[in-house]
Amino acid sequence: MIAHKRKIGRFPWRYKESLVFILSVIIIGIVLQVTIGKVDFNLFRAPVNIITGVCIVLFLAIFSLARKTPFYRWFSGVPFSVTLIGALLAFGLVMGLIPQQPQADSQQHAIITLPGFNQVTSSWYFVLVYFITLLSLGALIARRLIRFNIRDYAFYLNHIGLWTLLFSAGLGAPDMKRYMMYVKEGELEWRAFDGDRRTGYLPVTIQLNDFDMEVYPPKLILLNRLSGKLQPESKPDYFPVGREKTNGVLGDWKIEVNNYIHDAIPDNDGTYRSVAIPAAAPAANVTATHTATGDVRKGWVCYGNTVQPHRVLPLNSDCCIFMTQPQPRRFLSDVDVFFKNEPKIHAVLEVNKPLKAGGWTIYQTGYDRKAGRMSAYSSLELVYDPWLYPAYAGIALLAAGSVCLVCFGNRKKKSYELE
Amino acid sequence: MSWSEFLWFAIPAVICWLTAGTLVYLNKKDSAADLLMVAGIIIFAAFIIGLWIGQKEPPLRTIGETRLWYSFFLATIGYFTYRHWKYKWMLSFSSLVACVFVFINIFKPEIHSTDLMPALRSYWFVPHVTVYILSYAMLGAATITSAIQLVNINKGKPDPKLYRLMDNAVYVGFGFLMLGLLMGAVWAKDAWGHYWSWDPKETWAFITVAAYLVYIHIRLLKPDAKLALWILFLAFVLLMITWIGINYLPVSQNSVHTYTN
Repeated sequence: MIAHKRKIGRFPWRYKESLVFILSVIIIGIVLQVTIGKVDFNLFRAPVNIITGVCIVLFLAIFSLARKTPFYRWFSGVPFSVTLIGALLAFGLVMGLIPQQPQADSQQHAIITLPGFNQVTSSWYFVLVYFITLLSLGALIARRLIRFNIRDYAFYLNHIGLWTLLFSAGLGAPDMKRYMMYVKEGELEWRAFDGDRRTGYLPVTIQLNDFDMEVYPPKLILLNRLSGKLQPESKPDYFPVGREKTNGVLGDWKIEVNNYIHDAIPDNDGTYRSVAIPAAAPAANVTATHTATGDVRKGWVCYGNTVQPHRVLPLNSDCCIFMTQPQPRRFLSDVDVFFKNEPKIHAVLEVNKPLKAGGWTIYQTGYDRKAGRMSAYSSLELVYDPWLYPAYAGIALLAAGSVCLVCFGNRKKKSYELE
Repeated sequence: MSWSEFLWFAIPAVICWLTAGTLVYLNKKDSAADLLMVAGIIIFAAFIIGLWIGQKEPPLRTIGETRLWYSFFLATIGYFTYRHWKYKWMLSFSSLVACVFVFINIFKPEIHSTDLMPALRSYWFVPHVTVYILSYAMLGAATITSAIQLVNINKGKPDPKLYRLMDNAVYVGFGFLMLGLLMGAVWAKDAWGHYWSWDPKETWAFITVAAYLVYIHIRLLKPDAKLALWILFLAFVLLMITWIGINYLPVSQNSVHTYTN
């Protein structure tokens, strides 16, 4: 074995040297982090990120002239890339175990905050390793492009795709703008707030014509009226109403749903009727029979909302049937969007169905949770990301590369198998 | 059909799979094992389809439901890998693990039918989760292979064919893993405004991908076989944390990926 005879530091470099190199970088990063604080990635706002990108590509082009040197081979080779991925994996573990905070938080211990373990992505060691990854991966791509071989298409798709995605997602990040806008029904809004709750004035005005919401039929549960705990306590029972099944069991009670009204409002006589207005709420008429005593209870159950009282069905001195809060199925905002000097755009915004216009993407994000369907406002998010298409290009290349992996697996016979 | 009928399908499927996994060792002519294995898969698939129709929504939201697919894919992939590579243990092991997941669903179901929240109502939902579960099953098979190979190495006779099986399973599984991740990214852009937000589930997916990348790249050079086998094992542990363990971590409190109560 040659590796054992070789002294550390003498070329060709392998895992030991890679490990020493990356560990040094991480230690330098931690020292910088402790002494001068986190990296202000906003410094890389356009055009700085574009200039950085051009410099990286130019550097890689010039550096590739030295591709036959042992240093280049090491820098673009397997042991170094494995070590780099290992470092990124370690950073991932820190992020995956210690809750990450966008803003500095004094509640966490200094052992966590000082080296930036609560904000890994804006730490010096993460940023340094990120740049080294771009350079190492770039050097590998350059070396393989120079001796281009079409049969390596899966390699090119995966590695060039990854480089493009890493670049756009990382160096493109400071150009991204995200704002929240809270629009009242029937009103025009132009003020928006960024992550630090600062007001921004955007080139867009939004009018909310209507907010609407659809809910799922809720569930019936057995509740202890004194403790507020679900029954039976060891394994609470649920009974979904408004579906095909009309009878079931809650604890010691057999349940039969006689009537379910999805859009119900109370009548004067204590019953409910169906009226399709926003103030309506799901209600169910239930007969409960005790399995042992045969006691029968019958009545209406309704979770209610901001204008309707909730109603439970008392079963005995400490138990009642309770309706859970109906969960949203979809919520939508009917809006008119005005960009400066552009014609009005009419759209219905919904989760998973944003509006793309004028370089911005407008998302439905929330509403007044207490009011539910009666919410008087809708919260919208406005996102501007000029690096989205380069990032999608990277994603497309990587996806094509992944399809190659799925279809062909690992075709190459490795040399050691023949040994 | 609903979860209350699960036992009627789960028990016959388990009997078929376990019998197939045993018969494959006993019989010289293994057509009975083939038949039972396929029968088990069909019975199990019938329940999944029935549940899908019964719920009117794809059964992919709760962990209990994803375990259902895991059992299904593991049995299916195990069967086809066995047919291709002729390893009998492949059939037995994948049957056994598939059955373990069936039993978890019987005894610790976590299957309260939660309604599909608005963010999940997207055409990306089914491919995103299916591809992930397929990947988990492939990588699970690779991990079983690595365990067998470790035993072989300790006996002093590693099987070179096993390395090829393992590498193939990892490449295919990793391809699916990446596809799941990328689909998730494109979906997240539509649902949450950004394709990558370092949400805890995303962070752990990143960790998992990194671990398998380490394995794939370490295998390219002089294969320190034992180290690579252990990395594969470790990668699978990380994958399990991404899939299941994350719900028990403190970081998951703020995760947008936590759907079950």
